[in-house]
Amino acid sequence: MASARHTLRTAGTIAGLEWQLEWRQGHQLAAVGLFAIASVYVAFQASDHNTSAAGWTAMLWLVHLFSGFTAIGRLFDRERTDVRRYLQWTAEPLGLMLGKLFHAVLTTTALTAVVLGAFVLFLGWPQEVDTPGKPGLLVLGAWMGGLSMTTTLVFVSAVASQIRAGGSALAAVLGLPLLLPQLILATRLTRGALADEPWTMLVEYPVFLGALGAGTSAIACILFPYIWRA
Amino acid sequence: MKGAWNWTWKAGSILLLGYVILRGFGTPLQPGLVTATPSQLRIGTDTIVLAAAGQPFASEDDAPADFHVVLRAGDQLLQTETVEVTPHSVRLSVDVPATLPARALDAFVFTPAAGTLFLGNACFVEEAAKGDIPAAVRADAPEERAPQLGFSFPYQPNIIESIRNLLWHVPMWFAMFFIMGLGFVASLAQLRTDSADWDMRAEAAVKTGLVFGLLGLATGSLWARWTWGAWWVSDPQLNGALVTVLLYSGYLILRAAMGDDDRVGRLAAVYNVFAFIMLVVLLMVLPRYTESLHPGKDGNPGFNSYDLDNSLRAVFYPAVIGWGALCYWMYTLRLRMNRHAYRLLSR
Repeated sequence: MASARHTLRTAGTIAGLEWQLEWRQGHQLAAVGLFAIASVYVAFQASDHNTSAAGWTAMLWLVHLFSGFTAIGRLFDRERTDVRRYLQWTAEPLGLMLGKLFHAVLTTTALTAVVLGAFVLFLGWPQEVDTPGKPGLLVLGAWMGGLSMTTTLVFVSAVASQIRAGGSALAAVLGLPLLLPQLILATRLTRGALADEPWTMLVEYPVFLGALGAGTSAIACILFPYIWRA
Repeated sequence: MKGAWNWTWKAGSILLLGYVILRGFGTPLQPGLVTATPSQLRIGTDTIVLAAAGQPFASEDDAPADFHVVLRAGDQLLQTETVEVTPHSVRLSVDVPATLPARALDAFVFTPAAGTLFLGNACFVEEAAKGDIPAAVRADAPEERAPQLGFSFPYQPNIIESIRNLLWHVPMWFAMFFIMGLGFVASLAQLRTDSADWDMRAEAAVKTGLVFGLLGLATGSLWARWTWGAWWVSDPQLNGALVTVLLYSGYLILRAAMGDDDRVGRLAAVYNVFAFIMLVVLLMVLPRYTESLHPGKDGNPGFNSYDLDNSLRAVFYPAVIGWGALCYWMYTLRLRMNRHAYRLLSR
């Protein structure tokens, strides 16, 4: 049984490896960013400078959802086959999962910043958001929603990567229903924050989203060893 | 001995469900007031008709004088005169005074056999000024009467006759929870032992559970149409139910995508464990922390809002056992099919 220290060291190595991979294959990160910004621009053109809070929320989360899919959906099968085989024999599963999760959290944070930034740049806020605490609540909601989607996607990606043919298509099929609860909470939060609901009524939503993300991560960590060397 | 038990419980489940269907559809509903027409009363002498649903609360030859009706405004009672009584309605003549403590009137109908029927905010007197009801038309509180009805289901406003759906919708979800729980245990055992048999159990459980989940959605949708006016509404409990069914459909898609890959049992078990935990979160945790239209939720895990009285209990508990046993029976059949298929394929 691997010690906690060994697990953490594995996690660190994997996270570093992912980071390197991200820079070496710069096109992947760039592709996600391009996808996000292009989608926002389409939303900007479609909305014709005039968006309701509901429309803004819908577009934000659609873009966020599919950018997340693009970025995280293939997290578990982007290494070359030989690297993957090597990891399968040497890396400790829990450490590997933690490393991937850490990387996914970083990626999502960056992605949230890009998507939300592009939204504010192109579409602007749909209405005044100068009420104290409101921009913070919107940003926190987008971030927490993104994180709780991401942890689920990491799990789905891990399952789907075990399938020899059509794994990435399957990730989309399995992932969408799994992401519905997070999206329901997240859209509810964004819509509420834009519609002048008092923040005390909404502050439970980021907490729910965070708890859902943490719970999903925990389950993923517990279950991952069973599929990694199957 | 084992053989005898094997068919006894199956026959028992059929008998129980037969009882549930006969009792569930055959039992009359206690009468209750549904509407008052017109809903606006004018000052002076006016007439109003209170209509009831459920079993008749009067027979054709009952005297109108036996049906005492009062209208309540605020904390004062207004007397009325019963003009005509039919099995499902009562016509009143009211001397509406110019002053009332409140503009909304609640109706109480005191019947000889069916007890006291109540309709809140039955009608309104827009023109009335605020003040006391004059002593001439003020009524004393009549004696509360206990219903003397036979075996009958309670009347619930808005739900009315659809209360019988309680014997279908709720036990079907219970059966789904039960069989999915069985599948969860089977998947845990599969992860521990890596045996094909536990995998077959889990698959049989999920397939059976999905049937009951779909039936639960269908009966729930019918009920929503009747009580809330729409086939589907956005509600935490309903969202959770839909996502749960989609999740378990994903389980079947995952299995189908894996084909005859020998890791299918492992992967399916991992997915199933995850799905069951999500089921518990979605259907039992989240709806309790958010506002929900669905009864039994909104911070209230109990069954109080169904007002499950003894007559309903006498049918509801057999329904739970009957549907649960039928579900388990379906599961054993599916499991037998899986085992035969496995034996044939691995020959």
